[in-house]
Amino acid sequence: MSTTAIAENHPVPALKFENLVVDFKTKNGTVNAVRGVSFSVARGEVLAVVGESGSGKTITSLTAMALLPSTARTSGVVEVDGHDVLNASESDMGSKRGNVVSMVFQEPMTALNPSMKVGKQVAEAILNHRGVSKTEALKRAVALLEKVGIPDPVVKARNYPHQLSGGQRQRVVIAIALACEPTLIIADEPTTALDVTVQAEILELLRNLVQQTNTALLLITHNMGVVADLSDRVAVMNAGKIVETGTTVQVLTAPTQPYTQALLAAVPTLPEAKWDTVIAEERARISCPEDAVKESTTVAPVLDMRGVCVDYTSGGRKLRAVDTADLKINPGEIVGLVGESGSGKSTLGRAPLGLVPVTGGSITLFGGNVLKASTREIRTLRSRIGIIFQDPGGSLDPRMIVGDSIAEPLVMHGINGKRPSRSVRETRVAELLEAVRLPATNARRYPHELSGGQRQRIGLARALALAPELLIADEPTSALDVSVQDEVLTLLLELQNEHGFGCLFISHDLAVVHSVSQRVTVMQSGKVIESGETSRVLQLPEASYTRHLLASVPSPNPLLQRQRREARLALLSSKDS
Amino acid sequence: MTTTTTATRDSSGLRLFSWFLAKRLVQAAVVIAIVSVIVFLLLQALPGGPARGILGQQATAAQIAAFNHEQGFDLPLVQQYFNYVGQWLQGDLGRSFVMNTEVSSVIIQRLPKTLILALAAVGGALLVSIPLGMAQALRRNKAFDYVMTGLNFIVYSTPSFFLGLLLIMFFTQLLGWLPASAPQGDTVAEILSQPKEMVLPVLTSGLAGVATFSRYMRSSTIDNLHEDYVRTARAKGTPMNKVISRHVLRNSLTPVVTMLGYYLPVMFGGALVVEQLFNYPGMGLLFWNAAQTSDFPVLLGCVLVISVATVIGSLLADITQFILDPRARGGVK
Repeated sequence: MSTTAIAENHPVPALKFENLVVDFKTKNGTVNAVRGVSFSVARGEVLAVVGESGSGKTITSLTAMALLPSTARTSGVVEVDGHDVLNASESDMGSKRGNVVSMVFQEPMTALNPSMKVGKQVAEAILNHRGVSKTEALKRAVALLEKVGIPDPVVKARNYPHQLSGGQRQRVVIAIALACEPTLIIADEPTTALDVTVQAEILELLRNLVQQTNTALLLITHNMGVVADLSDRVAVMNAGKIVETGTTVQVLTAPTQPYTQALLAAVPTLPEAKWDTVIAEERARISCPEDAVKESTTVAPVLDMRGVCVDYTSGGRKLRAVDTADLKINPGEIVGLVGESGSGKSTLGRAPLGLVPVTGGSITLFGGNVLKASTREIRTLRSRIGIIFQDPGGSLDPRMIVGDSIAEPLVMHGINGKRPSRSVRETRVAELLEAVRLPATNARRYPHELSGGQRQRIGLARALALAPELLIADEPTSALDVSVQDEVLTLLLELQNEHGFGCLFISHDLAVVHSVSQRVTVMQSGKVIESGETSRVLQLPEASYTRHLLASVPSPNPLLQRQRREARLALLSSKDS
Repeated sequence: MTTTTTATRDSSGLRLFSWFLAKRLVQAAVVIAIVSVIVFLLLQALPGGPARGILGQQATAAQIAAFNHEQGFDLPLVQQYFNYVGQWLQGDLGRSFVMNTEVSSVIIQRLPKTLILALAAVGGALLVSIPLGMAQALRRNKAFDYVMTGLNFIVYSTPSFFLGLLLIMFFTQLLGWLPASAPQGDTVAEILSQPKEMVLPVLTSGLAGVATFSRYMRSSTIDNLHEDYVRTARAKGTPMNKVISRHVLRNSLTPVVTMLGYYLPVMFGGALVVEQLFNYPGMGLLFWNAAQTSDFPVLLGCVLVISVATVIGSLLADITQFILDPRARGGVK
């Protein structure tokens, strides 16, 4: 994909921004969302715009579609395939949208109309711009569904969105975007809501489509791995401005701007695993006895789950969420629990709390049998566990000042069996806020007054209120920007070092798990696939699923990512044969 | 597209629907059974029982005992209940104490008239409120929206007897356009032959529906306009008016349809006031007169019919929702 050669063939860029400014008028004054952005994308080129939340990258992309909310005011020049966008009439833009420029959105779950068959939704895009009959449009829609890799497209075209998986729905959204062979596709976080193996498939699809159709792709993302995998050039955005642009290799391997450098430094990375199956298995066999020796010499674990099964019943049917899973956490140890959505990792993480219907196996928590414990005993056991959740906004009571949220476990469980007085509580809250590196004055603030990272620190302070011996962290940083995630993970490691609690760290992000945990357990469809020392599992994976998972995580280094991509394709083809 | 779809529609959808329907029917039967017990017990709880109501304050103890024996009111409660249920199942709702006719024949005569009134009112209300609610949503927080919201609240908070009087004052006394009394007659055909007389009763019972439904329609349209699929549709190049008619309308209707099922019994309750006000010969007036004269078999029959209507209403709402919203059908693959 030589940019210059293509640019010579098409002197008009697919997309051009010149000094774009976007302001929003709000009750509290004007917000400058985009402050003078200039760049262009040529046909056949993939340009990635990266930045953290609030950087203005999505607003910039919506401008190209003229889909900004009515409160926005714009100035500058925006041209799509040579057509002026900012001064175009609504009907004029209507004839461009989906035709010359189309869009792939972040949320495949909600991006489709729930009460319309997917074939019809794809056909609608064709009917909007091509004078064909409904039957012909539907026929073309089926062909498009096949093109984006939907199995059994004739049947699937007659399905409603809820009958498809998340990955399939995203393929439908891509089919809609492709329907009229546009000059430019804007993909706004196209894989963020998807599992990593599905992400790899969608990225592969987008890469092939761009190559085949010579379409320009504007990729909006916060994921450096996705950037490295797909893009030719990168524009880094911060606070409404482009901070740095260049080729992907240049920006990701040798960034010149301090902001880009800091952003990249915050991205957790995975070490390169040994993809060669034979060598990996050989070395794994050698390293296995080490694990066994270590296990026999350790002290009593804080948590020991053996053969745990969890069954949910829905509509008379039994659904096995966790199937004979083993998991052990020693005092002062961080164990990573990884898996894709629906793997049962969160369910297994809740089993020791007595929050899920455990139907088999044994759970020993601090030496006590959880499954035989009375409600009262479970309550006591629970007071020795701290929990921290994914959504720092949703897990704090919006009508409670955060100091009271932090103090709530103290009130519920008491200190030494007594309900602590107000002054004792306030002292403890101040201590805890200091521990999570927040000023004590924050105790009087409400959750909405704090940033996402601050709220997750509050969540951490609350989890630590009763000085737990075990911390269960369920996707604690998944909702945070990378730089904030980095801060929260560093804090977690420091606190763990100071207090020495055992920790179950549940995450879908292998790189994050790699950066915090000593041991890791991999789950798939309710079963534990692989367990062991983090470095061993992530670098010498034994199970083919673990290998596949690791090869699907895109590396933020474009050169390494090329190797990883090839490794993934090799794994897939070896699985097929 | 529809032809191919219906022809090849997989049997699993049909099976799912039958299962859903069977489940709902059983639930409906259980609800009606419980209602029948409550109605029966309410009757027993009346001070002095039905005998005192019928025979009057002057009746002697012997007369009351004779009446109770004749009506079977001296049997054990459980036996009395099952006697009732046995009769109900045969379509026998007893004889009116006052009118000297079968309760069932009175209800069969009156019920269609109330249904006509209710359907006209609800149908009219929907025809007005769906476009109105959508128009308000599209002009959210503009003058039109504020004015309609204000009017809605006024109508909604006005009791129907007062609203009816206001309408009579305006349309009958002031303008002289419409008669203040409802159509009369024994048969449905007679009622339908007097459309002018129907206007005010329908308006009185329908206006509150307009207020209710347009509120629901407005908020659900606003919710749907913010959904991601609307953005997807616009990004395809679908013009806004088609986005509304093709995508937003159907998805916004679901809460209104749910509401509709629960609104049917409200209409019956409202009929009590409206029919009395306009002297319309439907169930409401029947119930009103029966209550005035302590005609317990008629009261009981009315309550039973209304509760069955309630159950059928919510059943219809569920079925419509099942058709409108594919997600409600479950069966995720």
